[in-house]
Amino acid sequence: MFRTQSSERPFCFVLPALGLMAAVALYPLASTFWLSLRHELPIFGISRFVGLAHYAELWHDQRFWNSLANTLYFTVVSVSLEVILGLGAALLLQQVFPARGLVRALVLVPWFIPTVVAARMWEWIYNPQLGVLNFLLVQSGLSAEGVNWLGHPTLALHAAILADVWKSAPFAALLILAGLQTIPPDLYRAARVDGAGPMQTFWHITLPLLVPVLGLTLLFRTLDALRVFDTVYVLTGGGPANTTETLSIYAYRLSFQTLQFGYGAAVAVVIFAVVLGVSLLALAALRRLGGIPQ
Amino acid sequence: MPLWFYLSRENAAEKVNFRPVVQRLARECYAFTLLLLRLGIVALVCCLGCAREQQGEGPLSLVFKHPKLLSREEPLRVLLDQFQRAHPHVQLQEEILPASSDQQHLFYVTNLEAGATDFDVFALDVIWVPEFRRAGWLHDLTAYLGPEGLKDFFPHAVEAATHAGRIYAVPWFLDAGVLYYRRDLLDQYGLALPRTLAELTGAAQRILAGEANPRLAGFVWQGKQYEGLVCVALEFIRAYGGEVLDEQGEPLLTQPAAVAGIGALRALIAQDHVSPPWVTTADEETARHVFAGGEAVFMRNWPYAWALLNAEGSPVRGRVGVTALPGSEAHPGVPTLGGWHLGINRFSRHPDLAWELVSFLTSVESQRSLALAGGLKPTRIAVYKDSRAQQEDPALALFFPLLWSARPRPVTPFYLMLSQVLQGELSAAVAGIKPAAGALSEAEQQIRRILALNPAEERHVQDTIE
Repeated sequence: MFRTQSSERPFCFVLPALGLMAAVALYPLASTFWLSLRHELPIFGISRFVGLAHYAELWHDQRFWNSLANTLYFTVVSVSLEVILGLGAALLLQQVFPARGLVRALVLVPWFIPTVVAARMWEWIYNPQLGVLNFLLVQSGLSAEGVNWLGHPTLALHAAILADVWKSAPFAALLILAGLQTIPPDLYRAARVDGAGPMQTFWHITLPLLVPVLGLTLLFRTLDALRVFDTVYVLTGGGPANTTETLSIYAYRLSFQTLQFGYGAAVAVVIFAVVLGVSLLALAALRRLGGIPQ
Repeated sequence: MPLWFYLSRENAAEKVNFRPVVQRLARECYAFTLLLLRLGIVALVCCLGCAREQQGEGPLSLVFKHPKLLSREEPLRVLLDQFQRAHPHVQLQEEILPASSDQQHLFYVTNLEAGATDFDVFALDVIWVPEFRRAGWLHDLTAYLGPEGLKDFFPHAVEAATHAGRIYAVPWFLDAGVLYYRRDLLDQYGLALPRTLAELTGAAQRILAGEANPRLAGFVWQGKQYEGLVCVALEFIRAYGGEVLDEQGEPLLTQPAAVAGIGALRALIAQDHVSPPWVTTADEETARHVFAGGEAVFMRNWPYAWALLNAEGSPVRGRVGVTALPGSEAHPGVPTLGGWHLGINRFSRHPDLAWELVSFLTSVESQRSLALAGGLKPTRIAVYKDSRAQQEDPALALFFPLLWSARPRPVTPFYLMLSQVLQGELSAAVAGIKPAAGALSEAEQQIRRILALNPAEERHVQDTIE
């Protein structure tokens, strides 16, 4: 057995891991933050320190606030839908029915498709002239000329949310299904003996015991959704009129399309701050609910 | 004792003082780093030696970077082989960039920013030329060109590559917005070719009413939030006599002409109902597919569509015409100029040799073969006047006047930043989220912020060469 008298020993063991973390996480982070304090425009040969000027500029930048609002809306709606649908799917897949293994595997297919490929598929589904969605709408007589899914200022973001939910709900279902497996079956047997119906069992056994897993699922999906780039970029490129432009797309455009590296880095730092804030809050909440030990 | 000794379970159980271990680890790391550094220096010296040797004895290597510009690569391949045969001491390499324009731009910027010397000649989109010139990445070609300059070339294409009388790139081939129309439908309804937007709208409405086909669109164009929308919007602004920037580089977007142009663009969808709402998501290929399927009367597109629309198996083959974009009552239509230029990397080790390749690829003969075999539109006037070329490809004579009137997008190193702002605001205007005047004044504010990023002397737009 290990003895724990030496205080240097554990430090020594984690040193390589710490070094790796510093190289791949801390260094880029610090470097991005440093970049955000500088005015870097290679085209004009400008490279100078400007302090917090970029953050002051962000405060007045309508396009930044718009992309922040889009990101938060996208996150809240898509993650709620994914967790609710994932929970429903997990409960169904937990039941015993023929070919359950096959169905469980099939449900996961969207999650296995690379995001860009999935987004391209949805782009075709939504295509106003040739897409299957409008074809069905017109054939069934619900609409005379189809709907402009990706060109409509309010529909476009929801279309992107739908594509994301289709892709990510299976992931939520997978995590929740794993959580369901850990609930001891005796609890259900005991409940049946006590005469509890399915709804009572769900509310008093399944849901309370799933809270830690639900919390983790929520956290994973939220962190992903806050950084969303590929789905939206492929589907709409941020349009129409920036109504689907997320923080990541805005940062990408600033840094790599218009080469304002400093200002782009400032947006990236904001994304980092939002993600960090949400993670800390979520972890604190999870501790309280008993999901994670102190 | 090596570190693994302490890490193994049995030995770790003993009480060991770890300080010497850490010190030893630090020493080992230091020694290892030194070793790596030494190896690195040795490798570097070797490489430099090799490179010098190569320059002295081996064949000169010349690298030509370009995106895939033709549907078929053979015409360019033939030219490069020809150049190779004429220069046996040179090893010519062709390197092809990824298909997306953003990625090509990013590739050039990251490499040139780092002073890359591994490519010599490269193809640039006309809108990147002022930016790269300002960044100091383009070799000044004025001395190579001599007093004649680029006299035989389309002046507006040359304008995009010129700054303060110096020329930084040679136009390779051209693009310009043109109007495609269904000749059979116009004939059937006895309509003349529209010269103004009002005539176009009227003609489209007549045909739409007559055909009573819900899938038929009157006028399709590029309304998606991307560079193509800026090109279309510029054509509309200029059709009303407006501009984006004046000669001093001041934005003119809140002027009545600009507002009228963008208002007219939105009215096509909202008031006149000649453009379907989905044009706000259309790029050139979406528009082309719809028009090629016989589901549109008019289309704004680039010349590349002509060959495809008239290809074997196309439903509209032989029923399509191409003409100049419509203007307004007071101003003629002004197509937006696109196309590709050839430039020489400022960090190239053999600029003279690179110039030979540029001058060869932009010669009358090369441009003629690229035009005839690849369908590219030449930048040299002589190719259009050449009777043999005219005979082989009647489209050359057809497109000449359309290309001739094309004007470049604002020639400024800020262009890509301006375009990013414009794409968002123009998209808001055409989708009806903001009124035209509101979107344009928002764009103007953002553009002023961008123009303020840099000293004033860089702000003036290129003097027009007439």
